Amino acid sequence: MKAERTGTVGTVLWGATLLGAALAALSYVQAGPARFWANWLVWFLFLLSVALGALFLVAVEHLTASRWSVPLRRISERIATLLLPLAAVALVALGAVPVLYPGARPEAAADPLLAGKAVWLGLPFFALRVVLCAGLGILAVAVLVRGSLRQDRDRDPAFTRRARRFAPVAMAIFALLVTQAGFDWISGLAPAWYSDVIGVYLFAGAFMAGLAATALALLALRARGRLTAIRPDHTYSIGGYLFAFTVFWAYIAFAQYLLMWYGNLPDEVVWYQARTLGAWRPVVLLLALVHFFVPFFALVPRDAKGDLRRLAWVAPVVLVAHWLDLYWLVFPALGPAPRWSWPELGFALLFLGGALLWLRAAMARGEDMPVGDPFLGEGLEFRL
Amino acid sequence: MAETFAVLGLFDHADALLAAIGKVKSQDLGGPARLEAYTPYPVHGLDRALGLRRSPLAGMVMVMGILGALFAMVMQYWMSAVDYPIVTGGKDPTSWQAFIPIMFELMVLFATFTAGLGMLLLLNRLPLFGHPVLGSRAIRSITRDRFALAVEAEGSGFDPRAAQAALEAAGAREIEWLPAPDTGPFLTAVTIQRSLAGIAAACVVAGVLTWGGVKLMPVLRPMVHMEDQPRLSAQQPSRFFPDGSGMRMPVPGTVARGYLPPPFKTPEQAAGLVNPLPRTREVLDRGRAEYQVRCAVCHGALGDGTPTLTAAYGAKPANLVAPNIRAYADGQIYGTIVLGKNAMPAYAADLPEDARWAVVHYVRALQRAQNAKDEDLP
Amino acid sequence: MEPESAVLLHRLPPFVEPPEDLRAPALTAGPITPGELDDQVLAFPARRPPRKWYVAIAFTSMLAAVGVFFIGVTFRVGIGAWGNTSPVFWGFGIINFVFWVGIGHAGTLISAILLMFRKRWRNAIARFAEAMTIFAVMCAGIFPLIHVGRPWLAFWLLPYPNQRGLWVNFRSPLVWDVFAVSTYFSVSLMFWYLGLVPDLASLRDRTPGGIRRVAYSVLSLGWRGAADHWRHFEKAYVLLAGLATGLVLSVHSVVSFDFATSIVPGWHMTIFPPYFVVGAIFAGFAMVLMVLIVVRETMDLKNLITDFHLEVMGKVILGMSCLMGYSYAVEGFTAWYSMNSYLHHAFMNYITGPYGWAGWLTMTCNVAIPQLFWFRRCRRSYPWMILVALAVTVGMWFERFVIIIVSLYQDYIPSAWHLFKPTVVDFGILFGSFGIFFTLVLLFARVLPVIATSEMKADLPGAQPGNGGSHG
Repeated sequence: MKAERTGTVGTVLWGATLLGAALAALSYVQAGPARFWANWLVWFLFLLSVALGALFLVAVEHLTASRWSVPLRRISERIATLLLPLAAVALVALGAVPVLYPGARPEAAADPLLAGKAVWLGLPFFALRVVLCAGLGILAVAVLVRGSLRQDRDRDPAFTRRARRFAPVAMAIFALLVTQAGFDWISGLAPAWYSDVIGVYLFAGAFMAGLAATALALLALRARGRLTAIRPDHTYSIGGYLFAFTVFWAYIAFAQYLLMWYGNLPDEVVWYQARTLGAWRPVVLLLALVHFFVPFFALVPRDAKGDLRRLAWVAPVVLVAHWLDLYWLVFPALGPAPRWSWPELGFALLFLGGALLWLRAAMARGEDMPVGDPFLGEGLEFRL
Repeated sequence: MAETFAVLGLFDHADALLAAIGKVKSQDLGGPARLEAYTPYPVHGLDRALGLRRSPLAGMVMVMGILGALFAMVMQYWMSAVDYPIVTGGKDPTSWQAFIPIMFELMVLFATFTAGLGMLLLLNRLPLFGHPVLGSRAIRSITRDRFALAVEAEGSGFDPRAAQAALEAAGAREIEWLPAPDTGPFLTAVTIQRSLAGIAAACVVAGVLTWGGVKLMPVLRPMVHMEDQPRLSAQQPSRFFPDGSGMRMPVPGTVARGYLPPPFKTPEQAAGLVNPLPRTREVLDRGRAEYQVRCAVCHGALGDGTPTLTAAYGAKPANLVAPNIRAYADGQIYGTIVLGKNAMPAYAADLPEDARWAVVHYVRALQRAQNAKDEDLP
Repeated sequence: MEPESAVLLHRLPPFVEPPEDLRAPALTAGPITPGELDDQVLAFPARRPPRKWYVAIAFTSMLAAVGVFFIGVTFRVGIGAWGNTSPVFWGFGIINFVFWVGIGHAGTLISAILLMFRKRWRNAIARFAEAMTIFAVMCAGIFPLIHVGRPWLAFWLLPYPNQRGLWVNFRSPLVWDVFAVSTYFSVSLMFWYLGLVPDLASLRDRTPGGIRRVAYSVLSLGWRGAADHWRHFEKAYVLLAGLATGLVLSVHSVVSFDFATSIVPGWHMTIFPPYFVVGAIFAGFAMVLMVLIVVRETMDLKNLITDFHLEVMGKVILGMSCLMGYSYAVEGFTAWYSMNSYLHHAFMNYITGPYGWAGWLTMTCNVAIPQLFWFRRCRRSYPWMILVALAVTVGMWFERFVIIIVSLYQDYIPSAWHLFKPTVVDFGILFGSFGIFFTLVLLFARVLPVIATSEMKADLPGAQPGNGGSHG
């Protein structure tokens, strides 16, 4: 019976993914390449931030040698493996560069503001950076996740030592990837604009997304009778960090906005003018609501942070909010009015379906907890 | 008859204390009593064992935090956009963005003081210096490394011996009877609360009185910085000048602005000047106003030389609407105003240049009005 | 273990035993009972301090007196006694202010944020670090007061109803600073004092009599360790820690807004808020590390402030150094990427020109030298630790110098460019502030318990019922 249910879920996901692919391909023709690439970009960045957030969780656990999070690490590792298919998605996303990125077009060489960095903004160097970052992402996943899976079998603490030594490198890779995504993929949409905190901003969003995805995966597995050894203390920690980083994200987002509003410099405010005035205003208000106010007030009571029922709706809200954040960052490049129609739904089916298919396969690999980790026992007892 | 406040049992370990609570609760203590535990540090599970309810502090802090944030927003908005709106840095006086940092800080401040003072004064009712436990032998161990379980009397009929027996059965190492205090505690939290409330009320009253007083009396010493300025005011002496006077004559040849001497010596020489002002309603209104102030007293309201002066004045002012004055050029009228003529003094000092020309326009209007032809009527 | 884990265990092979080298060491070097802890830590306020304490406080008081003298000179003569000039209108005053506020942040991080992360090793060092926060914020607060031309009117910064009918300019980051730093001081003071109350009660009960007993009695508010009280106390403590965590981020961000909200080239960078916070934690940890080394040696607390504590603080310093490196790299990249000639020029001034030496000094001290902490030997030996901590302190002071002076002395209009030359009054007040800070630290160590004994007792092995050691 279980196999049947699994089979049904799998069929639904495949069907959704293929339907989404068809709609997405259709939208290239019907809605135009710009719309197609904008959607591709948003979904690429969304899944990238979920995967990077999960990778960060794994790396920070090794960096701080924390014990309590060991039982949860396998979930984050599996989510981080999304970086592997995302490398291919990134390479395809390079198709967006000539369409959505004014700095990569030949006219940029004539623009006085862009001429000096036309080489940087142009497609060849852009692609090189993307390939480099994709490679580094795959490296991090290979070292941390593959080693962890292998440790399940051989029970060798040598991996733990290696992982702890690799953790700072993984953090550096993470920093590089979020910064590259911020400068190239996001602020490249308006090449005269720049903000040095964009990497930190994406980090905040990615961490929230990674936490929310981990929480959702945990809930999904528990609903299937797995991972029952996870204690309320563990879920409280996830809820607590999600709460804290809701505040951190709001702080970084508002700080960037406040500084640009205050300085009121023409070359900086164009970014926010395109995103907070006119038809985009309701979107930014909605973003503030779902990305900050709702998770904050939902998670502020102590009991709520560890409540699985509460996390069951807060985590999806956070993920939707993070998607909305990226939509709000990218889509204004298309025009002064937000677009939401069948192409967006098509892409949602395609990428959500694809990601869930990948994650379903990942959740079947290895044990649900890193059973070879020397500290699993203490982690289950919630030793800090 | 509660001469004994409580019976204290000391234990060596936290486990022993927790186990003892269960045992003592199940015993018959022979009278109304409640349990309290005293520990050198917070022991997990103790609240549950004693049946203590959760602390309401979190809710209080959240409410006060939100209140702090709202207060900060309202205060800043009222002060910056309502009471004294100023545009600084080109920002709209009603803009909210710059108010967020202070809103956050005041939220934290209100929340912190609620957490700290609320915990101490309200919930724990500390400071409290007269509590019997503070005077016991056991307190030395309690704040060091021992755990105490106290069976406290709740009313008359409390049996200390039964309590002692229950504690010993539960495994207490030492027993101590605490006598009820004979004097009331001093400097309690209640006293502090009342004092703080009194001080706050006094501050509010003083603030209202100050505000009212300041409204009634514009200048209150000692804040008179702008009054007493280290500069030379009128009629003040000065040691800088040899004659000791702060007031000086203007330098010879000083000309007031707008009052340069005219280039003509007689009104006839000014005949070539052209009236630079347009003949608009505003100019004529101004001309009328100036004329009524300066000229009508001698030349009459209608310009016909029938003034309000009495015959005792002597001189006979000119009839401005007579043909001879009508034949004057504008510049000649202007020159007469500036230099004067016969008994008429020079009005150059009383009328700035544009006022003079406005009066010229008005005089022309009077001349036409007093010599109107039929075709002038609408 | 919980039943579920036991069931789970039955389905899996037995757990691997963690090897020793992967384990974190115990929090105390050698077992210690609560009574012994009290005897070791709480004995200090009762004893006469050793002679080196008197020598130290004589030196720091003299330094403080020099500072007070030069502050008096500033009051008498005016800000002209400082090196401030056009266009460098902000000089040592604000450098020192930002520096000291930053030092304070380490204490709040250790006591509040590490409490939120439930890192038990904070217990031995939290009390001292919080005290350092308060003293650092006090030193920082001196500078806004003395740098206004008429310090006796400094209360005009507060929005009170007055006969001029004026309110403060709430849109100015300097007013945000007033609120942020005063809130930070109040919250830190409250947090520190509340944590002290149970320890003061222990001191009260150890002291036989006299003025000291009365003082401890009053200050401990009659604390008696009632379970009812502990429950509210713990809740308040955790809430305050959470609030203080928010403050650490916001206070130094508001301080960074002093610069970032302007349009001076080199100041208007959006990364300033988190960059300043990281820098503050960085500088503060270096100061705490130095002070703790001295404390554990002179007060013989090596079993409580263990090598592990020093090593983990070294790792935090290393991590912050890497984040500072990231910030410098991003700023440098952005300076080029912006294609803004003013920003280019400002950035080149950081590494070339009359103040280029300061820029290189900053990067060497903040990014290069702390990399020594990658090596375990350097994390465990005093000379290396002190070298790195001193380098970080100097480097972070110079970083504020570079940000402020270099961006101001050559901004948009070349005809306004002018070098900044600090005066002896500037230096006197700077060194005097160190004197004030260390005098207060020495007094604290003399009079109050430097380790939070009640917090440490709660986490010793066997302290909590049910298992050996607590787990949050």
